[in-house]
Amino acid sequence: MNLALADPFAIAQDYPETTTGHLFNGHACALRFNRKGDFLAAGRIDGVVVIFDVETQSVATKLKGHIRQIQSLSWSHCGRYLLTSAQDWKCIIWDLKDDTMLRMVKFEAAVYMAELHPANHLKFVVSLYEDQPLLVDATENITRKNNFSSIPNRDADVEISEKQAAGDAKTATTCALFAASGDHIIAGTNKGFLNIIEVETLKTIFSTKICTGVVIFLRLTNSGRDMVINASDRIIRTTQLPNLTADPDTITIEVEHKLQDMVNKVSWNHVAFSSTGEYVTASTYNNHDIYIWERNVGSLVRILEPTKEEHGVVEWHPHRPMIVACGLESGKIDIWSIIPQQRWSALAPDFVEVEENVEYVEHEDEFDIHPQEEIQKRRLDLEDDVVDVLTSKALQDTNGEEIFRMPVNYGLQDSEGEEEFVTVGRGEMRRKSPTEAREYLLNSEVVGSTDENQKRTVKKTKKR
Amino acid sequence: MSDYGDSADGTPAPPHQRSPKRRRVYKDSENSTPRYSSPDGIDEHRPYHSSNLDDRRASNDRRRSRDSDESDDRHDRKYRGHTTSRSSSRADTPRSSQSHSPLDPPSPPQYKPLRVNYKQKFILRGHRKGVAQVRFSPDGRWIASCSADGTIKIWDSATGKHVRTLEGHLAGVSTIAWSPDSNTIASGSDDKTIRLWRRATGKPYPAPLLGHHNYVYSVAFSPKGNMLASGSYDEAVFLWDLRSRHQMRSLPAHSDPVGGVDFIKDGTLVCSCSTDGLVRVWDTATGQCLRTLVHEDNAPVTQVRFSPNGRYILAFTLDSCIRLWDYDLGHCKKTYQGHVNKKYSLGGAFGVSGTDGFIVSGSEDGDIVFWDAQNKNVVQRVSGHEGVVLWVDTCPGATGMIASGGLDGTVRIWVDTDEEETIGALKLEDEAAVNGYALDINEAGVNGDGMGGVTYENGAFGFEHDTPRDDMSVDGGGSSDKEQPGSDTVMRD
Repeated sequence: MNLALADPFAIAQDYPETTTGHLFNGHACALRFNRKGDFLAAGRIDGVVVIFDVETQSVATKLKGHIRQIQSLSWSHCGRYLLTSAQDWKCIIWDLKDDTMLRMVKFEAAVYMAELHPANHLKFVVSLYEDQPLLVDATENITRKNNFSSIPNRDADVEISEKQAAGDAKTATTCALFAASGDHIIAGTNKGFLNIIEVETLKTIFSTKICTGVVIFLRLTNSGRDMVINASDRIIRTTQLPNLTADPDTITIEVEHKLQDMVNKVSWNHVAFSSTGEYVTASTYNNHDIYIWERNVGSLVRILEPTKEEHGVVEWHPHRPMIVACGLESGKIDIWSIIPQQRWSALAPDFVEVEENVEYVEHEDEFDIHPQEEIQKRRLDLEDDVVDVLTSKALQDTNGEEIFRMPVNYGLQDSEGEEEFVTVGRGEMRRKSPTEAREYLLNSEVVGSTDENQKRTVKKTKKR
Repeated sequence: MSDYGDSADGTPAPPHQRSPKRRRVYKDSENSTPRYSSPDGIDEHRPYHSSNLDDRRASNDRRRSRDSDESDDRHDRKYRGHTTSRSSSRADTPRSSQSHSPLDPPSPPQYKPLRVNYKQKFILRGHRKGVAQVRFSPDGRWIASCSADGTIKIWDSATGKHVRTLEGHLAGVSTIAWSPDSNTIASGSDDKTIRLWRRATGKPYPAPLLGHHNYVYSVAFSPKGNMLASGSYDEAVFLWDLRSRHQMRSLPAHSDPVGGVDFIKDGTLVCSCSTDGLVRVWDTATGQCLRTLVHEDNAPVTQVRFSPNGRYILAFTLDSCIRLWDYDLGHCKKTYQGHVNKKYSLGGAFGVSGTDGFIVSGSEDGDIVFWDAQNKNVVQRVSGHEGVVLWVDTCPGATGMIASGGLDGTVRIWVDTDEEETIGALKLEDEAAVNGYALDINEAGVNGDGMGGVTYENGAFGFEHDTPRDDMSVDGGGSSDKEQPGSDTVMRD
């Protein structure tokens, strides 16, 4: 509801410009915002998933269940459930209402990526390392896993050559996700094919060779109409998804833009869409830069100021010009955003900011002196507008769906008995003292003497 | 705890249009009255007060009849302050002006006058000093009240039973707020701390929120429950991250004590107000000031509240007005008058009757006043409290219950009733009463010195040095004429 008051130029700013801080709580290696953008899930290399409150930049909760590096994260539409996959060959669906494991599913291989069904939080698709991809239905207590083929769909009447057959045998799905409707799975293979699989029948209804290398990563926009493909041939491709429910023969997927760095020929660690899909951002391999392209014309608009390390996962906030990326070496989550300018006219209501000199014209009655009561009376008489203090316009936001509110645990810091280590030098570790629980907080945001206050707080509590 | 007036005086003040500096008064109200409110101000209220008290019994009927013969007054735009009672003149004027407006009704063609009929249901006794704030929990099941005696009490809103007393603050508690899940209470106290309490056990969370350099006047939970806004006498507004309990942001807010803070329902905006006469609207995410609202008279603003839909801000000012601001346009949309508010930080709330909104507030003459939010008419006045009604809150949900707390140390629950028969007023005694605390109302609240001898259990802080809620008082120094030109002069005519 702050939009009406916000600086229009600040709203018009689409992409972030400067680093505004960082989050740190363990070595993060996977990131994902929830749909509303108020929480950021960060998977760590020790298997813990930390959920940050984006507003306060503090830890909302920690989920402990995995024992190896987190591979991917996927939020349910309502924001209550989180699917995590890790290198311990497991996927866990968490219920964030009470931070419990709703389902744990074990696989026969390491998981590349797992994505939740857009409507059903107990259904997901996983792509496995050197194994068949699976559609997992955990609605009932017994988990049903159905594998689907990675082999591209070819015309039935064309004979498959020996070479092709050999290639097919080695084909594996490297990433898979649901289309926005949830009726189709979009899967990318290590041979550069893009397969579209109907969920109901698990038949591949359409395939196309989209790139020459391995499809590393796929991501849809919030609307589900556009897709970005990261491939090992160092080119990021964006496409518009066709209507998948139409006759399979009429489906075509055309590459809209090929985004690449022609000069440096860098390859891309991770890609993400901006909130509206107008921009694409990517982190670079062996490089510290984060690129932002404008998708309309496919031009590079910005390279974010580099930080000290190479970044792995990069994510764009679902409705703010804010990019987060986690560093590969330290696991620190860097944040790029916009630093808003205080408009001084907001502080002094009698003043307005004008572009150029304005000649002052006095109104006829401007300095007339009226008796106080008359002014008061006139003022009160003017107050005949209809006011509506009750009904809110934003009703359509909810759409009648259940709104999930994550419970706030005010006692988290008190009950936290977890040992955490901080590096104090090369190869040196030190146990973090409980008084330093604020380490992960955003340093740059702390105003003025807050630090001092905080220390005093600590001392006082100790005395007690 | 030296003289805080000094620091305030140190700030450069523009020469004109600045209301004189307010100063917190440490002695109890009545003793030092001459210091902060003009004697004639008091005198002026007295006749009003008494006359109204006299005919209050019949006031309901009178109100109806007045509504019915409204048409007679329609074109009478003159103030009739002399001839009729004050309330009726106040009530009629806006209505008559409205009927003059040619652009008036594309809206409801036949405006059905809002009608409420509140009756007292319970009196909750137990606080040993004035009750500064009363708040319904968001689920409507509980009422929390905080008092200058340093305690917070939780009551069952349906039965009026005392559930729990939260003790731990070292000085009077000026403000409380419920977390959105109704399980936690935040309280701000004159001991400069903010504490969080578990509703179910009555125990505080171990570490209080420290950081304010002076009395904490106002706290508000963000709708998600992850943040707390607090306003203090030290002129700052802080945003706290409640998970890590650290101060997240300090809003360089005001040049005078901050009286009230509130969150908008989606949590993106915070508003704050101060006795410097400003209401400021802040962006929660960035900490930027987005808008400042100031009325020409620059009257000290003691409380602010967002409307239920978040489109307006209700501001309580010490010129006996409550103003409804459209903060987007920066215009004052409505001015509600008819209560007395000259030295206390009174609080009120929005309520719903049928489909219409009303505004309810306490008054320093002991009444609770209800206004039609649309036409600014006073639709009901109820009395019951002996002394100032400091705070009124409406119950969320359809029950239409309201609760009030006053300087007499009681919390009262009122219900809207159609029946004319009175509800048997149930008097529920808190166990504190059984424990033998003095419960004489007159002593407990109205005459402030009645409790001079009571010392808080903690021993360290005698109440002589403590400040109960008669604290947003104005050190007017006889200049109240300048401060409230509108309302006063209108009355004198």
